[in-house]
Amino acid sequence: MKYLTIDTTTKVTAVALGEDRRLVGEGFLNTTKTHSERIIPMLDQLLTAADWTLQELDMIGVVRGPGSFTGIRIGIATAQGLAQVLKLPLIAVVSLDALAWAGKGRVEDIVPILDARKNEWYTARYNWTRGAEKADCLTPPQAMPIGKWLEYLKGLDRSICFVGDAVEKAKGRIEEVLGERAVILPEYISLPRGAYAVSAVWQRWQETGEGEQVEPYYIRFSEAEVNWAKKEEARRSEGHE
Amino acid sequence: MMESQKSNVVILGIETSCDETSAAVLLNGRDLRSHVISSQITTHQKYGGVVPEIASREHSLHFQPVVQQALNEAKLTFRDLSAIAVTYGPGLVGSLLVGVSGAKAMAYAAGVPLIGINHLEAHIYANFLEHQDLKFPLLALLVSGGHTHLILFEAHGQYTVLGHTRDDAAGEALDKVARTLGLGYPGGPQIQRIAQEGDAQAFNFPRAMLEPGSLDFSFSGMKSAVLNTLNSARMRGETLSVPDIAASFQQAVVDVLVRKALLAIKETRVKTLLLAGGVAANRLLRETLDHKLAEKGVCLVYPSPIFCTDNGAMIATAGYYHYLKGDFAPWTLNAVPGLGLV
Repeated sequence: MKYLTIDTTTKVTAVALGEDRRLVGEGFLNTTKTHSERIIPMLDQLLTAADWTLQELDMIGVVRGPGSFTGIRIGIATAQGLAQVLKLPLIAVVSLDALAWAGKGRVEDIVPILDARKNEWYTARYNWTRGAEKADCLTPPQAMPIGKWLEYLKGLDRSICFVGDAVEKAKGRIEEVLGERAVILPEYISLPRGAYAVSAVWQRWQETGEGEQVEPYYIRFSEAEVNWAKKEEARRSEGHE
Repeated sequence: MMESQKSNVVILGIETSCDETSAAVLLNGRDLRSHVISSQITTHQKYGGVVPEIASREHSLHFQPVVQQALNEAKLTFRDLSAIAVTYGPGLVGSLLVGVSGAKAMAYAAGVPLIGINHLEAHIYANFLEHQDLKFPLLALLVSGGHTHLILFEAHGQYTVLGHTRDDAAGEALDKVARTLGLGYPGGPQIQRIAQEGDAQAFNFPRAMLEPGSLDFSFSGMKSAVLNTLNSARMRGETLSVPDIAASFQQAVVDVLVRKALLAIKETRVKTLLLAGGVAANRLLRETLDHKLAEKGVCLVYPSPIFCTDNGAMIATAGYYHYLKGDFAPWTLNAVPGLGLV
C-alpha cells in the first residue's frame, strides 16, 4: 500500500512517501519560505525522485494539529484536495502522537513540546513499552503553561526525553528544572519529520482500515471566542446579583 | 460528458478571501453550471464583524464540501475541468490560504492548470457574466467593504486606477456607522433597509470632494460627522431618528460616489460604467447612477446582487479570460493579503 504524508503544523514542511510500514522517501524544509510556496513543489520533486506517480497512491495521510493554526489548515486543505481528486482515503494523525515516534525504542517518557506562544506549549506524554506497536499515551494532548508543566514533570520523578520545535529555545530552562532527568535530543531528530508521520499514519491505518472525515485539531479556541465567552460569563454573573 | 466537446472551456472558480466559501463551475465564460456560496455572516454577527481566525476555521470546514457540491450540481468531475481558478488576494491571509492550498492540490492532482485571481479584478469581471457585449474601453466603479476605486479598463487585464479612497472604503464607513447605530453587521444592507423609513434631507453630512479634479475619495470625515452628531445629541439628552441618520448618511455616500463617477466619465469620455463590489448592490446608488448616466447617454452595467457579494462565479469568469490568454500560476502561488489591482 502506497501513500504520502503531509505535516505543516510547525515551521517545518515535512512530506514523505510510505509503502506499508516502510519509509520510502522524505522531504524536510526548515527555511523562511512559507508552506504554501513549498508544499506542492516538494511533493512533485519527491514523487519524481522516487519514480512514483500520484495515480499509484492508495492513501493520503496528514497531521491535523495541534500546532500553527494556519499551518494545520494548509496541510489539511492540501491533503483533502489531493484525496478528493484522486478519490483516496484520508487518514489524519495528531502532531504530538507523530512526534512520539522520534523517541521510539527509548526507555524514558517521551514529551513532545510544540510552541503554542503565550508562554505555553502544546504537549503530551508517552512511553514506549518494549516491543510495542505504538507508544502509550500517559498524559493526553493539551496546551500547558510552560512552568506548570515542567513542575508537574519534575514531580513525576521519571526520566523524560523532550522532542518538538520548542526544545531548542527551552533547553536551558528544562535542564534547570529537571536536571539529569531531562534528555534532549538533537534538533534533526527532534523536529517533525516525514518519517514520524509515515509511522503514525501507518499505525492509524492499521487501527481504522478506512478513510475518515478530517477536521483540524487546534486544542485552543480562537481568542475572539474566548473573549466572548468571558464577557458572557461576566454578564450572566451580573444578572444573578 | 465533455469528451465530445473538446473546445469547451470549463473553469472551476474558488473564493475564500473573507467570510464566504464559494465555488462555481462556468462553461465557456457565460454558462454558469453551478454556484455554491456558504456564508459565515451569522457566525460573525455576534462579534460585530468578521473575526479572521474564525473565518479561517470556517473555510477549513466548508471548503471541500462546497467544491464537491459545485461539481455535483454541474454534473461534472475534476477530469472535465480545463483549469481551476482561485482568489489569491487581496483578503484575509488565513482565509485565502485555505482556498489557495486546496485549489493548488486539486489542480496538481487533476493535472490541470492553476489560475491565480485578483479578487478586485474578479468583482469587475462579474459584469461579464451577464453582459456578453461589453466593449472596451470601460470605466469601473468598485465599491466594497475594503475598496473604493475608479478604474479605467481598456482591455482584458489592463487597468489604470484613476482614483481610490484615501482613508475608509465606502463599505467600511457604512459598516462602522451601522455598528454605531446598533444596526449590526454587515452594515450596507442594514443601512439601506432602515433608510427607507427615513428622511435623506434630515441631516447634511459633509461630502468630501478633495481638491478640484481629484478622482480620489474620502469617507472618514463623513463618518466622523455622523458619530459627532450622535455624540452631541446624546450629551444633550436628545434621541435622534436612526432612520433619518441612516438615510442622510447613505445619501451622502451615494452623492460622493456619483459625483466622482460623473467626473471620471467626463474626463475619459468612456461610454460604459461598470459597477462592482458589495456596495454595487445598493439600490440608491444604482438608481441614482442609472438616472444621471441616462441623461449623458452613458450606459450603466451592474451585476445581479448575488454576483456583487464575494462569490465563486466571478472568480470563474475572471479565470476564463486568464485561461484564454494562457495566463497560469506556478505551484509556488502564495496568498497575497495586500494585493493591489495594478
